[in-house]
Amino acid sequence: MLTAAKQQTKVLFLSVKYNIMREMTNHVTFLMNIIFMVLNNATFIVQWLLLFQLKSDIGGYVLSDVLILWGLAASTFGISHIFFSQAFKLPYLIMNGKLDSFLVQPKNVLLAVISSGTNTSAIGDLIYGYIIILIFRFSLYNLLIFTLVSILGSIILTAFGVIVGSLSFWIIRGDILSQNLISAVINFATYPEGIFKGVVRLTLYTVVPVGLINYLPLQIVLNFNFTSLLIIIGAAIIFVALAFLVFYRGLRRYSSGNLMISRI
Amino acid sequence: MVAINVKNLTKKYRVKVKEKGLTGSMKSIIHPKYKEITAVDNISFSVKKGEIIAFIGPNGAGKSTTIKMLTGILYPDKGDISVLDISPTQRRKKLAYKIGTVFGQKEQLWTHLTPYDNFKFFGAIYDIADSDVEKQIEKLTAIFELDDFINTPVRNLSLGQRIRCEIVASLIHEPEILFLDEPTIGLDPVVKENIRTLIKQMNKEYGTTVFLTSHDVGDIEKLCKRIIIVNHGMIVMDDSMNNLKYNYLNKKIVEIKLKEAVDFSGDDGITVLKSKSNNLKLEVDTCKKSISDAMKLIDADNIIDINISNVPLENIITDIYKEGRHIN
Repeated sequence: MLTAAKQQTKVLFLSVKYNIMREMTNHVTFLMNIIFMVLNNATFIVQWLLLFQLKSDIGGYVLSDVLILWGLAASTFGISHIFFSQAFKLPYLIMNGKLDSFLVQPKNVLLAVISSGTNTSAIGDLIYGYIIILIFRFSLYNLLIFTLVSILGSIILTAFGVIVGSLSFWIIRGDILSQNLISAVINFATYPEGIFKGVVRLTLYTVVPVGLINYLPLQIVLNFNFTSLLIIIGAAIIFVALAFLVFYRGLRRYSSGNLMISRI
Repeated sequence: MVAINVKNLTKKYRVKVKEKGLTGSMKSIIHPKYKEITAVDNISFSVKKGEIIAFIGPNGAGKSTTIKMLTGILYPDKGDISVLDISPTQRRKKLAYKIGTVFGQKEQLWTHLTPYDNFKFFGAIYDIADSDVEKQIEKLTAIFELDDFINTPVRNLSLGQRIRCEIVASLIHEPEILFLDEPTIGLDPVVKENIRTLIKQMNKEYGTTVFLTSHDVGDIEKLCKRIIIVNHGMIVMDDSMNNLKYNYLNKKIVEIKLKEAVDFSGDDGITVLKSKSNNLKLEVDTCKKSISDAMKLIDADNIIDINISNVPLENIITDIYKEGRHIN
């Protein structure tokens, strides 16, 4: 069991290494993607600076809280898209019959599929997240907490991507539904939690779990709370278990395809 | 020893049916209609260890669906599959260690990496120790003559070189069965011949069982001793290559260049396939008329040149596809 886990991890890291090597084939594009994503994220600071000129408190958040929320959203998105970017392309892979080569390998299919590609600009997101925490809340302790909750958030985000992406096993054009749900997570992740009330707030902790991916982690960064951390760890375990369950159930319905494809 | 055993295998696909145009699209949103397509219909067969078997059929006959069920990619709706005494649906990972797959239309190599790096990656996937992978790469590089391009990124290789690398990647873990789905598609005749020789060599030296699907008659004729023909999801023929030729080679093609034209219309057993001035191409059904009887119809002095040959295997297979009859 332990050897199998070790072998699986070895393949996972090799896969990520090769993905990044592929992206680095063109150095200029690689660097530009990263730099422009950092700049792109930074432009939103201006928007919030203007809003906080009008009001000092938005949904219970001050300017630095919102910026840390942004940093957390960026790093969470960054980690999940550096390591598991294909989790968010599952509908495309399912609909076009691109899981074949993973199914003939003696490794975990889901891990092999979701780690088979990377997103260069996500490196920019991750860097941006750390720039924010270094500027606004620098301490070794905060860095460690930030890293921990970013990893947990990215695990929940990835698992959520797998769950909604796997709907394509059952629903024709399930890509539209999954894309909307994933976009909702990303959009809500950058707004203060306090502005949402009632059903919307409940939705943000269930159907669109941005509360578990970003809001609760932010509270931990701002004011460490062990119970909140346990909730996030529990949520991560449940989401991962659900992701495996839904994906493997769906895999029985996989119908492959005959498109001419290459792994590029 | 049986390598593959298939009993009553069935696979159906549910396909959405839509009427024409925008109205049809609107209707299908409200009342979606589906139809069921039987891709594989209750087929049974077995393959012995060390055999090279051709599994052929026209497009949409169910070849790829069958190969995908045998390798664990697709789940069957009905029936039992046993590959090396392992069920692909229940023990997919265990089976993966023992089989190799090459899908001619789908690439499994990383194109930005060199073949060498790819082979190392595949070694890691199959949990092979680094030193053993090195030895295996060395051995296969020599057999498949990869020395000149083993350190060139895959994207810069020719199609023939790439397919050779694909096959090597699928052999890195020394599989007992090699599934080849149209491995020579798009290759030139020289490279095709090269690949066939290598597959034969693997079969001879290591006893690798080869399960081949191909539209190329050359692949089938030169590699396989047994042939299974499928059409409309059913097996229409399962026989040895020798029997196939023996049973279907009762027709001969006679090409004659004559001094003066001869009329063969109305002769039972002779079909004129082509006629251009004094050049004739005839098909003689030897069950109805022997070649010597057919030749007696022409004055020997009238013949400038003559060539008698068997009906090409390609034509035989096409006839079987068209007839779609059950022989086994």
